[in-house]
Amino acid sequence: MYLGADIKREILLFAFIFLVLGPVPIMSIHRHQENKTTSAAAAFALLLPEEISGWKESRPDEVYGRENIFDYMDGAGEIYLAYDFQFVFVREYVRANSPSLMVEIYQMSSSEDAFGVFTQDLDGNEVNLGQDALYAAGLLRFWKDKIFVRIMADKETAEIKPVIMKLGEIIVAASPQEGIRPSLISAVPSAGLRPKTLRYFHTLISLNSHYFLAGENVLNLSSDTQVVLTQYEKEKSRARLLLVAYRSPNQAEAANKQFVKIYLKDKALPEGKVQSNKLEDGQFAGILRRNRFLIIVLDAEALPLAEWLFEETSQKLEEEN
Amino acid sequence: MKKTTKPRKVVTRRDFIKGAALGSLGIALYGNGRRLFAKSGPGVALFAAENPQSTIVLIRNEKAIGTGDAINPAVVQEMIDTALKEFSGEQDAAKAWAKFVRPDDTVGVKFTRCGYMRVHTEQPVIDAIVKRVGEAGVAQNRIIAQDGGLPVAKCTVLINVPTVKVHTLTGIAVSLKNYINFSPQPSKYHAPSTNLGEIYLFPEVKGKTRLIIVDMLRPYFGPGPQINPLHRWNYHGIMVGTDPVAIDSVCLQICQVKRKLFKGEDWPITPPPDNIFAADKTYKLGTSDPAKIKVIKLGWEKDFLI
Repeated sequence: MYLGADIKREILLFAFIFLVLGPVPIMSIHRHQENKTTSAAAAFALLLPEEISGWKESRPDEVYGRENIFDYMDGAGEIYLAYDFQFVFVREYVRANSPSLMVEIYQMSSSEDAFGVFTQDLDGNEVNLGQDALYAAGLLRFWKDKIFVRIMADKETAEIKPVIMKLGEIIVAASPQEGIRPSLISAVPSAGLRPKTLRYFHTLISLNSHYFLAGENVLNLSSDTQVVLTQYEKEKSRARLLLVAYRSPNQAEAANKQFVKIYLKDKALPEGKVQSNKLEDGQFAGILRRNRFLIIVLDAEALPLAEWLFEETSQKLEEEN
Repeated sequence: MKKTTKPRKVVTRRDFIKGAALGSLGIALYGNGRRLFAKSGPGVALFAAENPQSTIVLIRNEKAIGTGDAINPAVVQEMIDTALKEFSGEQDAAKAWAKFVRPDDTVGVKFTRCGYMRVHTEQPVIDAIVKRVGEAGVAQNRIIAQDGGLPVAKCTVLINVPTVKVHTLTGIAVSLKNYINFSPQPSKYHAPSTNLGEIYLFPEVKGKTRLIIVDMLRPYFGPGPQINPLHRWNYHGIMVGTDPVAIDSVCLQICQVKRKLFKGEDWPITPPPDNIFAADKTYKLGTSDPAKIKVIKLGWEKDFLI
């Protein structure tokens, strides 16, 4: 067995700190919170081995929070900030004449957002680790409970892949709890769903990174909204489903009116009525408000598929609520 | 009298579908493979706003990248020399370089070193350029090859040496995006990135870019925000030109085709890189109109994608 007594002790320490401290927000700076973040990051540092199969820590570990994420990834931090990201712990391993290894552990406030960040890019081969995991070409990504993890080699080699997987297993073993997935994803129909297309997020910046709808925030997306975007294929036709949960029916109605006016160039229909239009490319787009939810179908190649998506999603929302 | 203001037009996906947004760039993203670029031919001319025809030389060599993605410096040097000779119309590399740099210049070689994405300008590309600039008579202490912190005000000439990557916030990052860190506030040019072209017009930058040499050896076509090695491919290319708008437009088209090949279905780059269109229409930095872009293709023909 790889894990030595020291490592086991460290994992127990990590689990203890993690369970006691729980999520650690550092958005507002208070010394108490800074200390918690430092402790949680220290737990990650203790959890990971100093050396693994000859790969050794190359430099001091780094931790970036919401305030300085851009120091780590200038030009991409916005995507993490669009979720309830708290901090990222970074460790690099090097070995002579071998590719280097980078471990990044993203601490989120909620398991829903750990799942959401994971869905940003779903290209890769599924592996059995954490709650969902993908591996391809030297990059392992997974989420479990409130963490999202990326472990990447500079280059993939036969020798480095088992090391990447082992590091992943160490992190997973120290996080005994399973996190809940966003409840909204259970409201999307499962028949015909293309799993690799499912995305969960909150804001416009995330929507735009997956699917360009408009240059402005026509759906009034914010950190308070929950969004599932996915694609369907049924009977040789495809369509996209965008399901948005607002805090209140009023907010949903305001977004409904705006979407219909700007995108469908029409007048909004009352709640429960599907507004569906054939667009310039011959495909269908439509919207339906159900209480505080908007069901939006886009790029539907066939009207029956769009109608089916409205009906099925409505039913599921009713069942869920 | 009560003033009425026209409501602001919101660009939507439907405008792209109709071809009413971003001109031909919209077609590149949503045009279902419609042909965009003019046929290559003789008669190379440098880009000039008054003569809106841009020429780009795109050269590829199978041997530029070897086992383990190792870059072959000699091949890269030869590619850059050949492309520059073609671009300048000179038979000799030294004469070609002399058209762009003078011995009394201070030359900034602005490359890309993007830590978290790892899509860096390859060192052999930087070395090849620095070597030729030196041979053109510029003293070594007046050749400044750098990414962040390049003392742009001190330079009389800039050579823009970006990589190619699809970008979560700007759509694509090539020659326009490579100057983002000449601004003290780079995040001001993200999401939306329409104003990216204004950096080219900063007083200390304006008019200094004599050459753009794009490292297209290993571009990135994925969604980001961080690299997924599955989305990097060995294209084995170097692109030379002077028009950042035309260059970015062509790179956009190549990445768009590659994405479709990878997924086996349409996978439009998003958000749409409106910074390219704005660099053309608002900042007048070049042309994004494919009918005015002449792409001269040299070398290895397999999977040119354009």
